[in-house]
Amino acid sequence: MKIEFTPEQEALRKELRVYFDKLMTPELQEEVAAAIGEGGGPLFWQAMDKLGQDGWIGVGWAKEMGGRGLTDIEQFIFVEEVMRAGFPFPFLTTESVGPILAEHASARLKAELVPKILGGKMIMGIGYSEPSAGTDLMSLKTTAKKEGDEWVINGQKMWTSLAHHAEWIWLACKTNFDPEVKKHSSISIFLVPTNSEGYSCSPVHTLGDVRTNATYYDNVRVPADHLVGELDMGMMLIFSQLNRERLSLVNSGAFAALFNQVTDWARETDLPSGGKVIDQPWVQMNLAKSRTGLEALRLICYRQASEMTKGNLPMEDASAAKVYGTEFFVELYRHLGEILGVAGVLHRTSKGAVLKGRLEQLYRTASIITFGGGTNELQRDLIARGGLSMPRAKR
Amino acid sequence: MDFSFNETQLEVQKLANQILTDQTSNERQNQIDEQEDRFDEQLWGQLAEAGLLGTAFSEENGGMGFGFTELCLFIEEVGRRVAAVPVVPVIVSAGLSIQKFGSSEQQQRLLPAVAAGNMIITAGLSEALAECPSAPASTAVKDGDAYKLTGTKIAVPFAHKAERILVTAKVGDDVGIFLLDPKAAGVELTRQVSTSHEPWFEVEMTNAVVEAGDVILVGSEGVAAAQWIAQRSVVALCAMQVGVADESTKITAAFTCEREQFGQPIGAFQAVQHRAADCFIDVQCLRLTTYQAVSMLDGEREATNEVLMAKIWAGDTGHRVSYAAQHLHGGTGIDKDYHLWRYSLWSRHLEMYLGSSAMLLAELGKQIAAGNAYAE
Repeated sequence: MKIEFTPEQEALRKELRVYFDKLMTPELQEEVAAAIGEGGGPLFWQAMDKLGQDGWIGVGWAKEMGGRGLTDIEQFIFVEEVMRAGFPFPFLTTESVGPILAEHASARLKAELVPKILGGKMIMGIGYSEPSAGTDLMSLKTTAKKEGDEWVINGQKMWTSLAHHAEWIWLACKTNFDPEVKKHSSISIFLVPTNSEGYSCSPVHTLGDVRTNATYYDNVRVPADHLVGELDMGMMLIFSQLNRERLSLVNSGAFAALFNQVTDWARETDLPSGGKVIDQPWVQMNLAKSRTGLEALRLICYRQASEMTKGNLPMEDASAAKVYGTEFFVELYRHLGEILGVAGVLHRTSKGAVLKGRLEQLYRTASIITFGGGTNELQRDLIARGGLSMPRAKR
Repeated sequence: MDFSFNETQLEVQKLANQILTDQTSNERQNQIDEQEDRFDEQLWGQLAEAGLLGTAFSEENGGMGFGFTELCLFIEEVGRRVAAVPVVPVIVSAGLSIQKFGSSEQQQRLLPAVAAGNMIITAGLSEALAECPSAPASTAVKDGDAYKLTGTKIAVPFAHKAERILVTAKVGDDVGIFLLDPKAAGVELTRQVSTSHEPWFEVEMTNAVVEAGDVILVGSEGVAAAQWIAQRSVVALCAMQVGVADESTKITAAFTCEREQFGQPIGAFQAVQHRAADCFIDVQCLRLTTYQAVSMLDGEREATNEVLMAKIWAGDTGHRVSYAAQHLHGGTGIDKDYHLWRYSLWSRHLEMYLGSSAMLLAELGKQIAAGNAYAE
């Protein structure tokens, strides 16, 4: 047992830390803070250009595909450093959907899209969820029907994040209507340009200030080769895409940085009654609880990355990481927020906001993580089945 | 980054698991529980014979010469079977400490006999409301070459069977580490009844004489040495809790697959599965933080915070898993004909011994306030 990075991995971490520190100019930080987690502003696109030129997009892609071919643990280090820096890196496009697209899209679309993705010129929206298909994704109703050389798409998607910055939507549609066929063999993936006729997008404003979208497909026509992979086998692509998402779902670097920021603030800030904020026993208690939880998170994440590198991450461990990490974040924001006092609920634009209002905002955004990326109830089902050999629960 | 164990370590784990599983049937455990002392001497002898008691003792001391990691994997298996054998107090708190700080005469006199299963030694690390052995209230005064100790140790396992009891005491501004003879004049043992039924004693010392040959060390290095001892003991308790909590979770999952209500196994209900899944996650957190601390101590690295965090997890996981296991068992879990009750009691013992979660959180909080515990 050796819970340490190799010198090469440490060097990569250092290189990334320096690189992203430089990338995150105060102006870019300001642009990013105004649209948390979203990007899409002019400085964001400039930074994406630079990342593309410097070869920092597609780090997990095979070298022959134009990527860096980093191992899972190196990708994990990359994700940690990006999150620590706070750059809204479009992991979903570049590291999760991207490589699946590069493998399964038609030759024509591959040639068109892969260079754009790797060059930092493009973000994709993911069109899975619908108003009545969330966790039960396979009950989705958006349809694609073949007419001649074209697919005709009709339906509505919900929570199509980043669609307003996206040139393309990675869209899941029902393509097999035979009632005898199992649901998971009836869905296909299509690449839909957002400038298609019949496509529209309307904003959904959320609790955490993050904009997401409802997207509409009204007789949208795409050429036959916009089908990705095999007809009716889209769920396979979705599963492999979700697996690739694991490394970016929970990590500890950004949260360690947040913990350290609050600790520094509490050590430096005077109480009006004398002494420092951190002299109060309850503050130390909150920090100690956060620190103890964070340590477990760090080890869970490192172990996950290390097992993925070896290719033997059991399903239940991946699910445990997701449940623990996301539920811990919510607790962490609460515990750290309490330390800041009532000023901890001041918006970042307000007079008197503490630590740039980050905890006020994070607390609001945290509610999506326990259900996003596979709701925690489903993950617990998987843990009970995979890790404890309990029977499949009725749904 | 490697979270796996090497072949030797896995072999020790396998050997320990085999012996302990074979020798801890419910019937056997029931018999042991009838005894005045909850101690399986036969099993102790078998562990000695297999070389396991000497896992981390050097070959000169009658051991196998492996490290703290191998020893903790053995201790995890002791926890997994809630076996009635005092591995942590005898082998870790007393044994490893003597190997580390004792003279070669002390080592030779005690450790080979301990490894062979022929001698018990133990440690008195707790005092009432002074649970940190590096800051004892007991005192020692020099008297010629000897020391005279005064004070009261509590919750001392197997003091009545011990050839020597390792204790700490204040010597002026320093701390000394001594091997107390429980039969010496000025030592009074009074049996205490512990929640886990491990035989405990109050050890009252009134000018109890520790001869020069039984002084391990006195001086400015005493505090650090006592901390070394406490850290190994704490982490060994954590490893034992890994075994207790992991097995409690597995027993519970298996039980819920058998137990039927409303015409189906209760383990098919999502509410039941989710409670069990939370135990699984808790055990993972405990295991990871524990073995991080184990491997750091094995390498003699500074691990103050990592030890604290492991024990906080041991307390929290122990408490939560124990109650979830009982809850999901319904009445079966509290029935002494079934085995879960022992797991619940040991879970509590391990949670509370050498520092509860709240106490250690406060300790960690101080480290954070002092700028010594930033997150990586």
